[in-house]
Amino acid sequence: MSQGRFAAGFLVPGGLWLVLLFAIPLGIVLAISFGTTDDLGNTIYGWYPENYEQVFDPVFLPVLARSVGFALATVVLCLLIGYPVAYYIAIFGGRWKHVLVAMVVLPFFVNYLVRTYAWIAMLGDEGVVNGVIGGDIKFINTPWAVIGGLVYGYLVFMILPVYAALDRMDPALIEAGKDLYGGPWETFRNVTWPHTVQGVLAGTVLVFLPAVGDFVAAQLLGGPDSYMVGNLIQQQFFAAENWPFGAALTTVMMAFLFVWMVLYLRSAAREVAAE
Amino acid sequence: MKPPKDFDRPRFLRVYTALFFVFLFAPIALVVLFSFNSTKSLQNFDGFSLRWYEQFFGSESLRESLAASIQIALVTMVVATVIGTLLAYGLVRSRTRWSGGLNVLMLVPLVTPEIVAGVSALLVFTQVGLQLSLTTIILGHITFSISYVTVVVRARLAALGEDVEEAAMDLGATRLETFRLITLPALWPAILAAGLLVFALSFDDFVLSFFTTGESPQPLPVRIWSAIRFGVTPTINAIGTFMLAVSVLTIGLAIALPRLLGRRESGLRVLLGREAA
Repeated sequence: MSQGRFAAGFLVPGGLWLVLLFAIPLGIVLAISFGTTDDLGNTIYGWYPENYEQVFDPVFLPVLARSVGFALATVVLCLLIGYPVAYYIAIFGGRWKHVLVAMVVLPFFVNYLVRTYAWIAMLGDEGVVNGVIGGDIKFINTPWAVIGGLVYGYLVFMILPVYAALDRMDPALIEAGKDLYGGPWETFRNVTWPHTVQGVLAGTVLVFLPAVGDFVAAQLLGGPDSYMVGNLIQQQFFAAENWPFGAALTTVMMAFLFVWMVLYLRSAAREVAAE
Repeated sequence: MKPPKDFDRPRFLRVYTALFFVFLFAPIALVVLFSFNSTKSLQNFDGFSLRWYEQFFGSESLRESLAASIQIALVTMVVATVIGTLLAYGLVRSRTRWSGGLNVLMLVPLVTPEIVAGVSALLVFTQVGLQLSLTTIILGHITFSISYVTVVVRARLAALGEDVEEAAMDLGATRLETFRLITLPALWPAILAAGLLVFALSFDDFVLSFFTTGESPQPLPVRIWSAIRFGVTPTINAIGTFMLAVSVLTIGLAIALPRLLGRRESGLRVLLGREAA
């Protein structure tokens, strides 16, 4: 028995588990998305492409567009907010580097619901900020509150890959850029940025994917006007009891995200291979 | 002429980063602080009290939810760590024609939005007629935790190289002995860190639990969700602070344990998959 065949046996439990509880369930979602319900709301398999027509119905289309728009805004804000922080930690963190990275990661181990709830406590109509300034500014229940919640929720997924890319870069390159009379902007554009594009792309995908599917932020910080596709899906399973339509929405979302996922996985695989 | 040196004197960046951390921690600090408030107010701190913790731990149904959350996280941790470690070993050390496809299948859950995971888990469990319960939550959690373990352990395994294992086998050890006596001990820090990471993720998980939970007991995050929708109550601050403490403790352990066990590498590097070979 070769080393390879010995090790191949180790693939069996994980492989079986992922096929049975991940791959096949995705297939079931696809199958049910073409199904319908009987009068009691039970799911019946069949061929009912109407579910997909319904997804692209003018009533629901704005929700899909909003999800993508919110998620893109989230990505941009995460990049703008996160890049300078990652830059500072990687280049100037010195011996505090690891502590600072841990501090960035720490809040993301506070339950996501509790973190979102914390913003309601901060910015709600009777929240701390309105209490301190004695005003009554409406922060919550706006689209911006939803985007803010998403940014706060997924920021770490941008900072970590950008930080990793900057950390791998030799800081002497920045020095070299300046020695060659590059200004700060030129040095950044021609030296630093190209070294971090991979990290930024990874961060973009890692923020975009969960943000598109999020329903917590829109439900708690927004309201029906800012509902995203996640809220729509959630409603089909817990309120409307229209599972086939929920499955169709899920399938469309997954299909839309698939391209991003493949791109990310390919670049991640290349990175592993490079190391 | 000296080039402008703004980027060498990162005063702006330092201030920016400091403000960033204020933004990052202010809401959390607020939750922790007001979990000890003696009144219901979320605007004024009216003195220290533990009444919200008494309400949390005094409620039998919340205690059951806490126990449920711990049980889910523990079982998920053990099962996912074992399966994920085996999978990592198989992926790195074997070359079958399945490896490539399996590698992709292992990575996809990491980038799948949780709601998709939730929907597909809910559908498969109801289709095979499984009653939604703690068991279904655990099955869902394990599925998504295997990949985390595999990625963390695989990084360590790849850094390890095959030389030592080959040396052991040259000296007459069987493959199983080599795995047990050489590979596994070298992997311990990564396995431990991955397991604790999975515990923390499972303990905190809301979306997947929400889709796969039965009526009762429901895990804590699902209870928080129901509570928040009824409005803001300080008991949520107490639950949130308690869960924060559990997570920080778990992650702290993941970082510190490898050192305490006499290893040079820190758990943080292991978790980030970036330790030196």
